[in-house]
Amino acid sequence: MPSICFYFQLHQPYRLRDYSFFDIGRDHNYENESLNIEILHKVADKSYLPANKIILELIKKHKKKFRISYSISGVLLEQLEKYRPDVLDTFKALAKTGCVEFLAETYYHSLSSLYSPEEFKRQVNLHTQTIERLFNQKPKVFRNTELIYSNQLANTVQQMGFEGIMTEGVEWLLNGRSPHFVYSPLDNRKIKVLLRNYTLSDDIAFRFSNTTWSEHPLTAQKFSRWIHRYGATADTINLFMDYETFGEHQWEGTGIFEFLKHLPEEILKKKSFDFKTPTEVIESYQTKGDFDAQHNISWADTERDLSAWLSNSMQAEALSKLYILEEKVHSLNNPDILQKWSRLQISDHFYYMCTKHWSDGEVHKYFSPFNSPYDSYIYFINALSDLEISIKKLQSTDIESSSLHKKSRSKKANESEITGTETPIKKKKAATS
Amino acid sequence: MNRPKVLMLGWEFPPIVNGGLGVACLGLSKALAKKTELTMILPKADPDFIVENVDLIGLNSVDINKLKKVKTSKKYKEFASVYTVDSNILPYETPKLNILNSLTDSNIETTLDFDLSQMNQFGKGDIYGDDLINKVIDYAKYVTQLAGKIEFDVIHCHDWMTILAGVEIKKLSKKPLVLQIHSLEYDRGGPQSQGWVFQLEKYGMQQADFVVPVSNYTGDVIKEHYKIKSEKIFPVHNGADTVETYREEKPFPDKLVLYLGRITGQKGPQYFLDIATRVIDAYPNVRFVMAGTGDRLKGLIETGAYKRIGNKLHFTGFLSKEKVRHLLAMGDAYVMPSVSEPFGLSALEAAQFGVPCVISKQSGVSEVLNSALKADYWDTELMASHIISLLKDDTLKKKIVQEAYNDLANSTWDASADKVCKVYNMAMAGV
Repeated sequence: MPSICFYFQLHQPYRLRDYSFFDIGRDHNYENESLNIEILHKVADKSYLPANKIILELIKKHKKKFRISYSISGVLLEQLEKYRPDVLDTFKALAKTGCVEFLAETYYHSLSSLYSPEEFKRQVNLHTQTIERLFNQKPKVFRNTELIYSNQLANTVQQMGFEGIMTEGVEWLLNGRSPHFVYSPLDNRKIKVLLRNYTLSDDIAFRFSNTTWSEHPLTAQKFSRWIHRYGATADTINLFMDYETFGEHQWEGTGIFEFLKHLPEEILKKKSFDFKTPTEVIESYQTKGDFDAQHNISWADTERDLSAWLSNSMQAEALSKLYILEEKVHSLNNPDILQKWSRLQISDHFYYMCTKHWSDGEVHKYFSPFNSPYDSYIYFINALSDLEISIKKLQSTDIESSSLHKKSRSKKANESEITGTETPIKKKKAATS
Repeated sequence: MNRPKVLMLGWEFPPIVNGGLGVACLGLSKALAKKTELTMILPKADPDFIVENVDLIGLNSVDINKLKKVKTSKKYKEFASVYTVDSNILPYETPKLNILNSLTDSNIETTLDFDLSQMNQFGKGDIYGDDLINKVIDYAKYVTQLAGKIEFDVIHCHDWMTILAGVEIKKLSKKPLVLQIHSLEYDRGGPQSQGWVFQLEKYGMQQADFVVPVSNYTGDVIKEHYKIKSEKIFPVHNGADTVETYREEKPFPDKLVLYLGRITGQKGPQYFLDIATRVIDAYPNVRFVMAGTGDRLKGLIETGAYKRIGNKLHFTGFLSKEKVRHLLAMGDAYVMPSVSEPFGLSALEAAQFGVPCVISKQSGVSEVLNSALKADYWDTELMASHIISLLKDDTLKKKIVQEAYNDLANSTWDASADKVCKVYNMAMAGV
């Protein structure tokens, strides 16, 4: 019985402001708060709210046969809690249906899995706790930032207690095998890997409104026909995409919401098909073999590797200078510093620095303070420098206060010595008087 | 003694300033106005910007009906027969030109038809930017006409943009021409430069009665590279306007080392990165700022990251005067690693703000700031060790700063103007 497994990604970063050299040491606010709020409202109204409404209706309409999963970054959850609790409520309502699974990820949608196992675990735990608090679910399946994945990561995640992990169904690792089965990492059968069918996923996420695409317009009927072709040869067809596909990447006018509304009934027309959440897929199907990822893969760009975040010297420098602070940040035990450092880990910052598709002619002789990977790097590194300075200051006050403490103790000792010496004088005086 | 009547041809001028030329022209003309009767023609002047005793004329606001047509020389036509340049060039960056098209006499018409109605176009757009060469040619056309209405004893022009006009006026008026050189194609493009601008510079210096470079360094370049006779070269250093300076405490404990200027090959920004890397190795509590913009910026940002000094190397892009001063007020050292710098006014400004300077020997300002620490631009090891000494040794720093104040006391625009007046007198006497 082939299953359709939907997972929708939701994330909105804290974008940085044009943080100049002159701000360093003076202004410790790195973020463009008004822009972040503006985008949050836009995407909430255009995408999250209408899409959630449809999903809830579909679950009711199909009597819980329509089942999906979400991965919502911690930084988006906290922004929703602060600015759009109404949107958060609709997710809570979905959680209560029992048809919606919430996945675990790094709270800060970070690249910490590449730099620090400890930091990675801290962020996953923080995210898991947040999911439990908000949705009353303990995540069993993990998905890493932008589906970054390797054997090593799968082992780490398994040791943390997760039963499943998602990644991209890259062809060079499948070696002709189908992504429509459950696999396991090399030498580890304790965790299962769900692989994204990127063709079918991107038909919805990227090509849906592309009028030059030969299959345009894409209807729920047509898409279901494609799905049904795999009837005899699939356990699970994994459709993973950004949730913003609905209403934001693909505008309402493209018919994307209508597509979503009709998709479940079209797919369910063939009785052998059903919808399952990732955990249900893992529990229902056996591993079909090894998925051996010696090197990191991801769902980003045509390369499907780390190059979106880590292909030029600016990205490498920004990331290494950020993670080098880890020990210092934790030793300070200062919530504000920890939050600033954590938010600088949001992977989007490094994505903005990518020069892969940047045509050289456009960067040119004039330094435009906007819209270039170079600016993104400059503002990031300035903010990071400010954080370094704040950390240094706090460290030195820590040292000072501890040495002050010592001093005051020794001062007290001196004082008592003085009082000690006074007594004989008094005595002397008393003796002379 | 009668005050000489000077017709000065300028290009950039405050408040429209791109580099050192405008600043130098203002400083010098203010001082000259005390000793001469000065008329200055600019492509574009802001009517609200008034300099005491200087008659400022911007082509953007001249009454064209008062002008008459004049004939131009053969040489003018050669330089003017350049096709539209389809590139955005700046006079102080290297123009990439391959359009020198010196036509032979046979196919040139005897007079060029001037469309005077276009003259006020200088009020629109940038004085540099697209099509600069045509702007330079047009400027020469209009200024030549305008000069017929003005009484003067000597012509004083600045750099290649005004050379064509200066030579034309000399030919028509038979008045002596003094050509001041602030920057050369040699500096911008290196010793191999041979293009249209280079030819124009050479022609101008040949035609001029006297050439006034802003330093001995540039005087030597003019002699050796442009083959101009040393008898007519009279270097006059720039001065420094007195400015209100201040010091400001940095909001961080690290020392601050500054680079201010265009980020182009001429200014040696790549050497600055080498220097920074060496300094950070020896003295980690330091930050570097590169203020300015230019064609090397992108590569430098990447190289700084590659050298793993990104978190100590800050780029600001182009800065306003106020922001530049803010930087200077916080700076602990100023570095100018220019490959070829005719003068380098920004070093004087740094010295005024009490920032000790480390400058390349290939600069004019090194002749004025005797106290500054110096090295060849390629000797990044010595440059770095100079900076490290300044950062570590407060006594040395104070000494350098103090001595620079003494040097500055002698570097006034009045002193520069006196020397320029001597050149005028020689020119008018036909020496």
